[in-house]
Amino acid sequence: MTAMTHVRPLPRMEGTFRFSTTETIKHAVLILGAVIVLIPFYVMVSYSMKSPSEIMTNTGGLFGAQELFRDDFCVKLGNAAEDCMVRPLIYNYTTAFEKAPLLLYLLNGVIVTLSIFAIQIVVALPCAYALAKLRWWGREAVFALVLFCLLIPVHAIALPLYIMLSKVGLTNTYAALIIPWTISVFGIFLMRQFFMTVPDDLIDAARMDGMSEYSIIWNVMLPTAIPALLAFGIFSVVAHWNDYFWPRIVITGNRDLFTPPLGLREFKGDADGDNFGPMMATATIIVTPLIVAFLLAQRRFIEGITLTGMK
Amino acid sequence: MVRSHAHIWFVAPAIFLMIVILLVPIGIAAVLSFTDYSLGNPGAEWVGLQNYERIFTRSTYEKMFIATFTYVGVVVPLTVGLGLGAALLIHSLNRFSDIYKTIYFLPVMAALLAMAIVWEFALHPTIGIVNSTLAQGCGTFLENWNWYARSCERTFPLWLTDKDYAIWTVAFIGVWQGFGFNMVLYLAGLTSIPRELYHAAEMDGARSAWDRFKLVTWPMLGPTTVFVVTISCIRSFQVFDTVEAFYPQGGGPSKSVYVMMFAIYEKAIQQNLMGIGAAITIIFLGFVMMLTLLQRWLVERRVHYA
Repeated sequence: MTAMTHVRPLPRMEGTFRFSTTETIKHAVLILGAVIVLIPFYVMVSYSMKSPSEIMTNTGGLFGAQELFRDDFCVKLGNAAEDCMVRPLIYNYTTAFEKAPLLLYLLNGVIVTLSIFAIQIVVALPCAYALAKLRWWGREAVFALVLFCLLIPVHAIALPLYIMLSKVGLTNTYAALIIPWTISVFGIFLMRQFFMTVPDDLIDAARMDGMSEYSIIWNVMLPTAIPALLAFGIFSVVAHWNDYFWPRIVITGNRDLFTPPLGLREFKGDADGDNFGPMMATATIIVTPLIVAFLLAQRRFIEGITLTGMK
Repeated sequence: MVRSHAHIWFVAPAIFLMIVILLVPIGIAAVLSFTDYSLGNPGAEWVGLQNYERIFTRSTYEKMFIATFTYVGVVVPLTVGLGLGAALLIHSLNRFSDIYKTIYFLPVMAALLAMAIVWEFALHPTIGIVNSTLAQGCGTFLENWNWYARSCERTFPLWLTDKDYAIWTVAFIGVWQGFGFNMVLYLAGLTSIPRELYHAAEMDGARSAWDRFKLVTWPMLGPTTVFVVTISCIRSFQVFDTVEAFYPQGGGPSKSVYVMMFAIYEKAIQQNLMGIGAAITIIFLGFVMMLTLLQRWLVERRVHYA
């Protein structure tokens, strides 16, 4: 039996030829799927490197010919035509940063996602600890509240949240981008489940040593929870870096507070024919950080994103 | 066992935030849904059930429900089906399974808004890569397909602006984006099925792959499927990014893509009709909460029987 356990679940012993046929068909199907999945990524990266004319005529292959072309906007500014010749790749990416304050948008994205994650941890961790490891009156009721709140998607109550924030004058601030996400009921639930598995002896020993409950959370529980926290962090950062709905609602005019998706949306709003290249460059820049991080640490990312499945 | 009251400080912030950020808004939405409130007005009139009556009688909202349920009805079965199919194929591969897993998961990671803008571009009627690729198939055997031959004669569809195609195209992008997520959940489910069950099934006479699937794989994936279906429903109910990116005004050709989240956004944020927006919010919450409760009930029932 032990020899069997490492065998794949569907081993068919009907000769190598037949085996490789089914295998080939499977690969063919999966490759077709992969091509369809990759089409928009191909379009995005490829067009971010092409000149307007190559985009309009759909030529130039993946990288474009990278021939110099005339930047009409530069000519309009009164420069000589010879000085306005640009390489498509360089033109697209520099325009992406020059036409809109893309760096600022990226910075906003970083500030917002990291603040959200930090506050979620500060709020959720002590609560999860108290729910898992302390005995007190009302604990079951609070846990029931957590379970009930798991039912509520924050996007669905965006409208009343928006009204509340505008009543206290907080729309168009960083606070508006962060506040609704400060409480992660899911984070509490997840951490509580995790802490339940931590042996009581560990905590008792810490108490014997005279540690306060407060320092037990941050010095004993937090280190044991690093893997779970990492997974939760990936889950949280991906969700909020990519979020478009909530920023769209609370950031109405102030461009200084735009997150990356809002910046891209604004770009699209006033894109004319010549600006498809820079727009695709912007899209590439916004999508790349998470994709690269994902490719580097795939298993952790998949774990984090599918955390909700572990309930 | 008398302890400090440390727990109060530990749970108080969380309880406070849960109440203020999650529960109070539901109350506010519930109350506002019976008024004609709008931001900036000093007061609001109590209008009773008028908002709900409108939602269930006006054709605009009929279109909203049709668009939402069409979207959910297309995206959920396809993301679940393709997710399961991809997971089964990948799981049975001897080599290269990780590459497919990585590729299929990419859309889950990418900002949907950015990818929607790219898709819009790829689906552009004249310079888009999709129609120009399809046009290359003209004159080949594909013309045996009536639809293809007709498209070659005239033009290939305006995927996003033709009201016969718009909702399906948006749903396609939803499937494109979502099935990798389900695939990963199913892969986790598949690896947790004990091998012995397959041997046992084989001894019981389950010779074909289909028999084994029916007898072992599918029942064992039950809990995964319940979860995958629920989360796919909730996610597709909340579709917004693609719709707003393609149709910033009005919800698509003849409002055929006027999904609920977009309706809330349009009514409440763009038009400042908070009352009607709140009513849609309440109906929306009703759907989503019912789904999750149904899921929990299904899971718990299984647990009791097992």
